[in-house]
Amino acid sequence: MTRPLPGAVVTPGGHPATTTATATYVFAVCHGCDPAVLTGLAGQAAGAPVRLLRFGSLEAVVQDVPAEMFGEEALRERLANRAELEHCARAHHAVVAAAAGRAPTLPLPLATLYLSDERARAALCEDENRFRSVMGRIAGRVEWGVKVYAAPGRPPPTRPERTGPPAPAAAPTTTTLTATAPPETTTAARTGTRPGHAYLDRARGARRAREERQEAGLNAAASVDRALRDIAVAGRRLRSHDTGVTGAGRVQLLNAAYLVEKGREADLIGAVELLRTSPGYERVELEVTGPWVPYSFVDGGDLDADQ
Amino acid sequence: MTERTITHVPSMPSGPANLADILERVLDKGIVIAGDIKIDLLDIELLTIRLRLFVSSVETAKKAGIDWWETDPALSTRAHRAAVDEENTRLRKRIAELEGGEDTGRAGREDPGGERVKEVRSR
Repeated sequence: MTRPLPGAVVTPGGHPATTTATATYVFAVCHGCDPAVLTGLAGQAAGAPVRLLRFGSLEAVVQDVPAEMFGEEALRERLANRAELEHCARAHHAVVAAAAGRAPTLPLPLATLYLSDERARAALCEDENRFRSVMGRIAGRVEWGVKVYAAPGRPPPTRPERTGPPAPAAAPTTTTLTATAPPETTTAARTGTRPGHAYLDRARGARRAREERQEAGLNAAASVDRALRDIAVAGRRLRSHDTGVTGAGRVQLLNAAYLVEKGREADLIGAVELLRTSPGYERVELEVTGPWVPYSFVDGGDLDADQ
Repeated sequence: MTERTITHVPSMPSGPANLADILERVLDKGIVIAGDIKIDLLDIELLTIRLRLFVSSVETAKKAGIDWWETDPALSTRAHRAAVDEENTRLRKRIAELEGGEDTGRAGREDPGGERVKEVRSR
């Protein structure tokens, strides 16, 4: 990902690649992978098999892909298309997961490409020691994802509106305050209280209640994280997903990944289940995904560092 | 290795890995080595933001004062949110002025809406 190659793919000798040229796409690095597990995988391009490329004492999982589809421009264009991005991401992940099913595997990010097997091998060889050391750290371990969501249910509001401050009042305000006064204003006037004060009290109350819920949710998320870090070898926070992904009103309070010894998966899941039924967790939902190839734990130095 | 999402009963996985989970791993994670063909993952990251797959961490959002908790996704573009905030600030200020004005007899003098508010109160 360092050498920008403007436009078409150019060979090291400077000759423009022909349309039949291929590039070498690298999915993962592994040790002792059985080529049989790659049989039949589609990978990133139809027609060419996903195969192993040996380098030093390790292998890379690679595929020949059409150079014209994997040039800088072409890739940017394709990955800007949501369907293509999804296709490429799932294809990449499927190959990584297949390899990791049988052998220690280091996943590479999407779209690591070389102009030829020779260039791929040269680059991979330079990093062989790093690969071996990271492989040692993740051997016999898998990644589990744990998410905490604020439960969509809310306590009965003091008034039927979603947000505390004047949300519907974002509507024409002067009009609202005229003869067509909202019922609560009229009621307040009738009972002799000042409507503005009543409104501010309500707004403050709603805001306080919301802050308390936020605080409680974040505290629950923090204790989930603490509890799981005790079981895991390492933990990392990932970015929370937007409600566009999680669904309206389903706010993600924690999105974390934990590196867990293969024998301790039941402990992790048991801990999540225990937390789920504990007091203080009524207002949150917990979700576990896995086991993942340890994508979140193969780069960077300190395994215990939070992101 | 087949990932599953476990939502309610831990012993019974309920579904295959979702796209956001895969994207955040294959785009952001993995062991990075220099390739021949430069593909700027930052571009893709921007794309994912455009696709509304990710937001910054909850803590960051909270620090920034973003009302992430109950924000309607339909209102979540920054521009719209800023507009609503501005409107809210204006309204709060105005209400505070009106409340203060009731005691001192300066109710809504700067604002043509003020007289009409007094009308409502006097009922």
